[in-house]
Amino acid sequence: MWEQIRANKRNSILLLALMATVLALLGWFIGRAFSPDPAAGLFGIVIALFVWMILAMVSFAGGDAIFLAASKATPVTKDVHPQLFNVVEEMAIAAQLPMPKIYIINDPAPNAFATGRNPQKASVAITAGLLGRLNRDELQGVIAHEMSHILHRDILFVTVAGVMLGAIVLISEIFLRGMFFSSMSRRYSSRSRSSGGGQAQAIMLVVAIIAAILAPIMATLLYFALSRKREYLADAGAARLTRYPEGLASALEKLSQNTTPLSVANKVTAPMYIVNPLQKKGMKLSDLTSTHPPISERVRVLRGMAGASFADYSEAFRKTTKHSTPIPSSALKDEAVQIRSAGSQKSADSKKQIRDIGDIMQKTAGFHFVNCSCGLKMKVPPNYKAHQVKCPRCGKISAV
Amino acid sequence: MDCPFCKNPMIIIELDEVETDYCADCGGIWLDAGELELLFADTQQTNQLIASFRQADTDEKIHLCPICLKKMQKVLAADEKQSVIIDRCPKGHGLWFERSELAQVLAMGNFDKEKKIVKLLSGMFGKNETEGENGN
Repeated sequence: MWEQIRANKRNSILLLALMATVLALLGWFIGRAFSPDPAAGLFGIVIALFVWMILAMVSFAGGDAIFLAASKATPVTKDVHPQLFNVVEEMAIAAQLPMPKIYIINDPAPNAFATGRNPQKASVAITAGLLGRLNRDELQGVIAHEMSHILHRDILFVTVAGVMLGAIVLISEIFLRGMFFSSMSRRYSSRSRSSGGGQAQAIMLVVAIIAAILAPIMATLLYFALSRKREYLADAGAARLTRYPEGLASALEKLSQNTTPLSVANKVTAPMYIVNPLQKKGMKLSDLTSTHPPISERVRVLRGMAGASFADYSEAFRKTTKHSTPIPSSALKDEAVQIRSAGSQKSADSKKQIRDIGDIMQKTAGFHFVNCSCGLKMKVPPNYKAHQVKCPRCGKISAV
Repeated sequence: MDCPFCKNPMIIIELDEVETDYCADCGGIWLDAGELELLFADTQQTNQLIASFRQADTDEKIHLCPICLKKMQKVLAADEKQSVIIDRCPKGHGLWFERSELAQVLAMGNFDKEKKIVKLLSGMFGKNETEGENGN
């Protein structure tokens, strides 16, 4: 396991170094675009790295808090949702990790993610939409997938890489927009200096514009390339932790049936989720630009597993996709793991389960519940001004 | 969630495990896509229904979707006899009916194929709203 984490770290560092190179090159080209002096290129690099460092420090200090706040996640205690709490506890013990903080995102689109800079400060978040649709085995599969992200140190990588991607996008945008608005003044200043350097300077400017357009694309591709591999690894980890690949497989199937885009997700945060939150139905993204492998393939690999170890996943992966395995060789020597039988809870009454989750979310948000004698339930938000509500069904007035 | 019409907080009303958001001030109703999904027990059917309405040509005041705050489209729900213009979120978050539109939808009967929406709304609002509107 440790060998695998180390291999993961090496990959991450390589990828981050590549992204840093893209960032530095971008800074250099932009610097040179302003002045032919090589020192200007160096100055550009310094500025680019400075932007990245500020963003990185912010994300290191409070990246998970910012991300959770941006996703509008609310923390969960044991009495709010005992089953979720128990499942997370179980998986934390199985993965030999400290108990992460648990959050529910009040969004009907089913999805989940893990974040935090290390396992001691990790958080797992799950949307109300997902919690309402899964039985216990499936929930366990999803939580185990997220727990594997924590165990493999993916959460740190996604945060740091996401910030670097953010810095590259930010610098390119500022430069391109600045170019557009300041083109007049620059033309004047280059003429007033030396006429000999003018042509070289113009070429440099074009190169810088091209670099500013290409850099975000390159960085995005690098970012996506590794996040895809991590999804397979986390799936394999989830199968091993739960000893029940079918749980995650059937949860993924339920996730894939939904097409509501998650309203709180964006391009940079997308790779953190268990399935791509932005993918729309009927829109086939090419393999190069998708953050997640196709769900159908992930399900087929999970269902093809003979046991629940990494070696079994690797074998099933080779058979299903005909590609080389994403599992590091050190993990393949793991001891064999038997698949356990299904849990006792089959599929619950989904409508009731979804309603129950909704009620939990509303109660934690401070809603006041009023049951009218005619059978209509009214849920009054905390910011409701009047002190009484009239039942729209029978006209009876109740106090709030 | 705030009423797209008068901006006051709406109350949630629940009948048979399906919720709608209701503005106690103006009587408007927000039908959330997620709730329609519960009602139909099917995602595709819900999406089809929401997408099925044609865009209407009208100069009624534009409202914002209470979920994403994007400008809602004016769409036409029609059968052979009558039609009603309702608001639809361009991102498919749900449908908005004003108070007067509700009665028209209820009178239409075949607003949706299996009449599930009509049944739900008349169960929630039927007695009061239709009585009030029948006088017109």
